[in-house]
Amino acid sequence: MDYEKLGFMCGIEIHQQLETHKLYCECPSIVHDKDPDIFFSRKLRAVAGETGKVDAAASHEKKKDRIFNYQACTTSSCLVEMDEEPPHPMNKEALEIGLQAAHLFNAKVIDEIQVMRKTVVDGSNVSGFQRTALIAVDGYIDTSKGKINIPLICLEEEAAKKVTEDDKTVTFRLDRLGVPLIEVSTDAGIKDPDHAKECAEKIGMILRSTSRVKRGIGTIRQDVNVSIKGGVRTEIKGFQDLKSIPDIIIGEISRQQKLLKKGEKVKSTVRKAEQGGKTVFLRPMPGSARMYPETDILPVIPSDIALDDIELIDDKVKRYGKEFGLGEDLAKKVAKSAASATFEKAIEKSKVIKGPFIAETLISAPREIRRKNDIDISNVSENQYLNLFALIDAGKVPKGAILDALVAISKGKFNKDAYKGVSQAELKKSIAEIVKDNPDKPFGALMGMIMAKFSGKVDGKVVSEIIKEQLK
Amino acid sequence: MKPGDTIKVRTKENEFTGILMPNEETDSVIVKLDNGYNIGISPKSIVKKELLKNKPASDTKKETPLKKDPKKKTITVLHTGGTIASKVDYETGGVTAHFTASDLIQLVPEIKDIANIETDLVANMMSEDMNFSDYQKIAKAIQRHAKAGTDGIIIGHGTDTLTYTAAALAFMFEEIDIPVILVGSQRSSDRGSSDAAMNLICAAQFISGIDTSGVYICMHENTDDDSCVILPATKTRKMHTSRRDAFKPVNCGPVARIDYIDRKLELFNDIYKGNKLTIKPELSDKVGLIKTHTNMSTSLFEFATKNYKAIVIEGTGLGHAPTSIGKENLKKYEILKSFIKKGGIVAITSQCIYGRVHPTVYSNLRRLSNIGCIFCEDMLPETAYIKLSWLLGNYSTKETKELLPKNLRGEINFRLDPGDFY
Repeated sequence: MDYEKLGFMCGIEIHQQLETHKLYCECPSIVHDKDPDIFFSRKLRAVAGETGKVDAAASHEKKKDRIFNYQACTTSSCLVEMDEEPPHPMNKEALEIGLQAAHLFNAKVIDEIQVMRKTVVDGSNVSGFQRTALIAVDGYIDTSKGKINIPLICLEEEAAKKVTEDDKTVTFRLDRLGVPLIEVSTDAGIKDPDHAKECAEKIGMILRSTSRVKRGIGTIRQDVNVSIKGGVRTEIKGFQDLKSIPDIIIGEISRQQKLLKKGEKVKSTVRKAEQGGKTVFLRPMPGSARMYPETDILPVIPSDIALDDIELIDDKVKRYGKEFGLGEDLAKKVAKSAASATFEKAIEKSKVIKGPFIAETLISAPREIRRKNDIDISNVSENQYLNLFALIDAGKVPKGAILDALVAISKGKFNKDAYKGVSQAELKKSIAEIVKDNPDKPFGALMGMIMAKFSGKVDGKVVSEIIKEQLK
Repeated sequence: MKPGDTIKVRTKENEFTGILMPNEETDSVIVKLDNGYNIGISPKSIVKKELLKNKPASDTKKETPLKKDPKKKTITVLHTGGTIASKVDYETGGVTAHFTASDLIQLVPEIKDIANIETDLVANMMSEDMNFSDYQKIAKAIQRHAKAGTDGIIIGHGTDTLTYTAAALAFMFEEIDIPVILVGSQRSSDRGSSDAAMNLICAAQFISGIDTSGVYICMHENTDDDSCVILPATKTRKMHTSRRDAFKPVNCGPVARIDYIDRKLELFNDIYKGNKLTIKPELSDKVGLIKTHTNMSTSLFEFATKNYKAIVIEGTGLGHAPTSIGKENLKKYEILKSFIKKGGIVAITSQCIYGRVHPTVYSNLRRLSNIGCIFCEDMLPETAYIKLSWLLGNYSTKETKELLPKNLRGEINFRLDPGDFY
């Protein structure tokens, strides 16, 4: 398909949750909390915004006049989420992450950030609005098909999650409400459906590079704006999965084409991404009438905030390969994971052990131990990892004992003396005995018997050399 | 360039076009961009500022008189300021004084189905700034509208001192033949979640649904948007800085409940219905309210007894003041003693808020009682302050002393129900 001829216009918006406390209160960002212990119900009214106009999207919802039931947990919600207490000042850490992201997107930070209230009366925000602030403008990313502009970067609060809904009531859970989100929007310069996916991937990578974003299902969402010649802008919300972006865009193009062929007018709407590239109508497009200032919070002057330099994940992958000899696959795994900080600290202190060993341990050991021993070692702290690497580096714990040692650390039973190496003479003597006692056994069986005897205390490579020598 | 104008601001790095917004807090230029976001631009980064378009003139609509439905009661809504029913002009940042019936009906359309609505802008202030002269202004407005034949009055009021005004009006009207309901709002009416509309609707529903008179307060019963309570004017206190259900009856229960969903009315008490309106509007400003605490300075007692004719002491526990042990505290005792001897009045209430004060349980209480301090039963300290001001404004010192511990407007409850403490 010739997208240029089609008049294809497409932009994306990425919403990424941050790994900090909530944006306007001290509640932790637990997005899947336990059984609710707070219950209340509210009604919302459509009100005229700053310009005196009632927003189209808001009055669409008001017509339904529904009761909103809210469920929350005291562990993750307080009076602020309940709209019973004014917001606290903006979470500093979230703002720092936002500003770091702005720099990574080459954007210009606003001199004085103003928090706005975006009218939302579908119940997903208890207050009737979502707090959002434009923190930077005029950024860009480089892609395989040229520069794509990032005109807006916003910091906003996450909405509550809908649980059930009928004609008269809607029920929401509040644990997610108020979790900080960075919203990154591109302009309509995306060239084609595959390019949209590439842009989304690149933006996601940059955001993850701040290493303080949430990971997992539902923590990042993509919205896509699409139009073709003769049609109008349609916003498709709620992509969880990058792979589905091209299909959904192609689906929306053909929906608009069909309407145009029938001579119908395409209305500007918000649609929800469904499986199989289809979309369904959600509500009319909200206009600028829905925004007015959040008068409870002072503006923020970002130049007062000092920021750390951040390396992009893609650059880190390259550096790990070049400096520490990691293969691309392993380098990617480390760079993307939370273990990358541990990796860098460990490698800096090590004289003997090398990058691939440390990286492999950090990435594979937890999985291998879970598979083999059915033990979760996620309780092993960064410091415990670093101490273990130091012991191995100093030759006090053999490399081959690392899995055994990690299990012991996780169980709180680690004793470094248990790994005191067996002396070369002692080892040779023992091997000689075993070889003598088992004259018919093949090499592999002998190896197994010896390794079992010195579980974790000897290096397999050394043992194999001694056996080979003795079998000569 | 003035707020509301469309301007273009060029900085070293960018160019922003939008509407200039008011900014009284910092020196930056605030611009509302097309996408609705406001941004602040530091004057240091501005290279050029250009006016593109003047603020469009606002279309002043003529107020068309609303048709009255003879089958419905007429309610007059008096506006005094505060969060409730005020309109914010986002372009100038100010709260507009235009408060017409159609403004109110635009804000709360349901209210015209309940009653015929008239409005009157009495004041436009935050309630913490109120003085006794404002109470008198409100009382006069009530009198005026009652004379003109209104069936009930709703007063939109800031929440901070709403209960002070309620108590003052309750005392000022010796007899009253229409209901006067004070209504506040804890969430401003510019947001979808505002409690203003529901509190107003429930107040109107109460006036329309029952034949009664007297001064009451109508606010949310709990955090849900499902019911409001009618609260007694002299026994209600704002007990939370921000919650919708901040207003609680103290040492008694609510008067009535209005179900917001089915609009049903539930009465908990017999209700009073007066047949005339008489007013004693004077209030003395020679009354002080002192909260006692540990390590308290004697000079405060010196100041109060020198400057006031009467003092309400918000004491500790059963009504204690630091007047028994130590040279300084004994000095405070002597100050109070000579103040009362010279005709001063000392009223004792408790900072416990809930419960009754007692003049004889401990010897220290007896010492206060012995010199003539008047123990105000279960009266709220703020109510005692208003009551004393009203008594001294309209009665002699002797009469004031007699009337202070008597129940005049429901301010004293001689039987406390265990269910009224939570």
